[in-house]
Amino acid sequence: MIEAQGLVKVYGNKPAVQGVSFTVQPGRVTGFLGPNGAGKSTTMRMIMGLDRPTSGDVLVNGKHYAKHRAPLREVGALLDAKAVHTSRTAYNHLRAMAATHSIPTKRVHDVIELTGLGAVAKKRVGGFSLGMGQRLGIAAALLGDPQTIILDEPVNGLDPEGVLWVRNLVKALAAEGRTVFLSSHLMSEMSLTADHLIVIGRGRIIADAPIQDILNNRAQRVRVRTDRPDVLTRALAGEGVSVEAREPELLEVSGVAARAIAETALAQQVLVYELTPLQASLEEAYMDLTKDEVEYHSGPVADVHDHAGTAESGRHAAVAAGAGQEGN
Amino acid sequence: MSAATLTPQAGRVTGPGVSFPRTLNSEWIKFTTLRSTWVLLATTVLVMVGIGLLGGWGIASGMEQMEAAGQDPAAAGMDSSLLYLMTSGGLDFGQLIIGSLGVLLIASEYSTGMIRSTMTAVPSRLSPLFAKALVVAVVAAVVGIVSSFITYFLLQPILANYGREFGLDVDHLMQSMLLSGVYLAVVAVMGLALGSLLRNSAGGIVTLVVLLLVLPIVAQIIPFDWVQDGVMPYLPSNAGRQMVMLETADGDLTQWQGGLVMAAWAAVLLAGAAVTTKARDV
Repeated sequence: MIEAQGLVKVYGNKPAVQGVSFTVQPGRVTGFLGPNGAGKSTTMRMIMGLDRPTSGDVLVNGKHYAKHRAPLREVGALLDAKAVHTSRTAYNHLRAMAATHSIPTKRVHDVIELTGLGAVAKKRVGGFSLGMGQRLGIAAALLGDPQTIILDEPVNGLDPEGVLWVRNLVKALAAEGRTVFLSSHLMSEMSLTADHLIVIGRGRIIADAPIQDILNNRAQRVRVRTDRPDVLTRALAGEGVSVEAREPELLEVSGVAARAIAETALAQQVLVYELTPLQASLEEAYMDLTKDEVEYHSGPVADVHDHAGTAESGRHAAVAAGAGQEGN
Repeated sequence: MSAATLTPQAGRVTGPGVSFPRTLNSEWIKFTTLRSTWVLLATTVLVMVGIGLLGGWGIASGMEQMEAAGQDPAAAGMDSSLLYLMTSGGLDFGQLIIGSLGVLLIASEYSTGMIRSTMTAVPSRLSPLFAKALVVAVVAAVVGIVSSFITYFLLQPILANYGREFGLDVDHLMQSMLLSGVYLAVVAVMGLALGSLLRNSAGGIVTLVVLLLVLPIVAQIIPFDWVQDGVMPYLPSNAGRQMVMLETADGDLTQWQGGLVMAAWAAVLLAGAAVTTKARDV
């Protein structure tokens, strides 16, 4: 469990995180989504006590990270795949980390096996690919068998097999009742991995909701190819419906289901030669959220993080508002 | 695959927590698992022994030539006590390598990002700094003492050619050889503190060289009495040199005073490092 209350971090006079509040619950994968520079890494460093918040507070497993008796056994973190001395071998790096908590050598071997580093464990980390570096970081995070796992951009640089492995690993960890907090700027990856999503942009929380809510709140789009777009457009017109002509014979319709479009086309005797419901991807939902940020930021969003952690429904409403604006 | 091999836990965390001895063990593992550590330590021993032997040989042969020419070597400042000092004659160069090792020990953690792993494992922050200081100080002391004794034993056959060999029972000789280890230990801690304060290898090493070598030279050419009497003797390397002397002249710092002045430099720098380590973001 991670509880952040009004976290603010200012570097010099440049605000990186501006009043962020959220709660990461155990038993599910919580994604922390935002573009580069949105404040994800800074927030995670504050959770781990590496950066001191300018104001606000963050507890992990009920205490400040530094106050834990056995921090590696409470929280495992991959904050930066390069947080390793490049001249040391992976095995010795893990052995040195383990020594601080008298974690037995057997556990070091276990996490090496678990992360598939067996073949390179005795090689110096400087020669590692980005993907192997990530695996080493994840191995270090799992050393203490922690209740809470924080991973900053864990799939960066991983090959497809590695991405799938991380996805299954974090899901399995969450299924065991652990708290899993995962950052990424890859929205597609999040849609496959996370159960719950906290979206951050320019240091503020834009959305904090189950991933399904974020996807569902977005208007369904259907791509239609027809040789009579003008007729079909007129026939479909109605409240809550928007039709955009993308190409001479290509329409993108939102607000009407694919079947209803087919029925209208049939009634109008219009030939339709493509009818594709477009999956509302998290990517698009995310773009919508960040696009609207400027418009509705000053008002409703202030509400969102003021009540975060207590008013779950309030935040959902904000998400709905964000997605709703888009579908006008 | 995946988490099947992980043991799920319920509730309270069990198992050993962080402690200073465990942190010390971790720092020891980190220290010994870098190739650069061994290269620098071996270089220190080689350089210190090599310079000590060359110095001893040069002085002994010089003394012989002067005597052959009918001059008194002691009048030129060349006597047995100078030969005794050659057991730690490589200290001036050795201190630079050991000091650099101290700087690198922590600055390389900042440059590689390792420090974030270190501070995550031991979030109290000061334990890793002090554990590193202890590790590097003990190793530096051992290297200094071992170098002195190797120099001593290799020097005797050379000096025997000139009939100038001497025994370990020379007054204060053993003390000087042991204190040359202490000298390196203090320099290593100064290097570590500078590396921690500046978080940069090059900056730390340059600052250390300025403190140990440049300041004494600069101070020497400033003709004010208060510099000569009030500053010069208290510069770290000058004070440290008094500590490893067999005999100190009247009016100079004694071995004890020199040692304490030098240790004070290291203590102040380390305290500064501790304060900034605690206060700054990692």
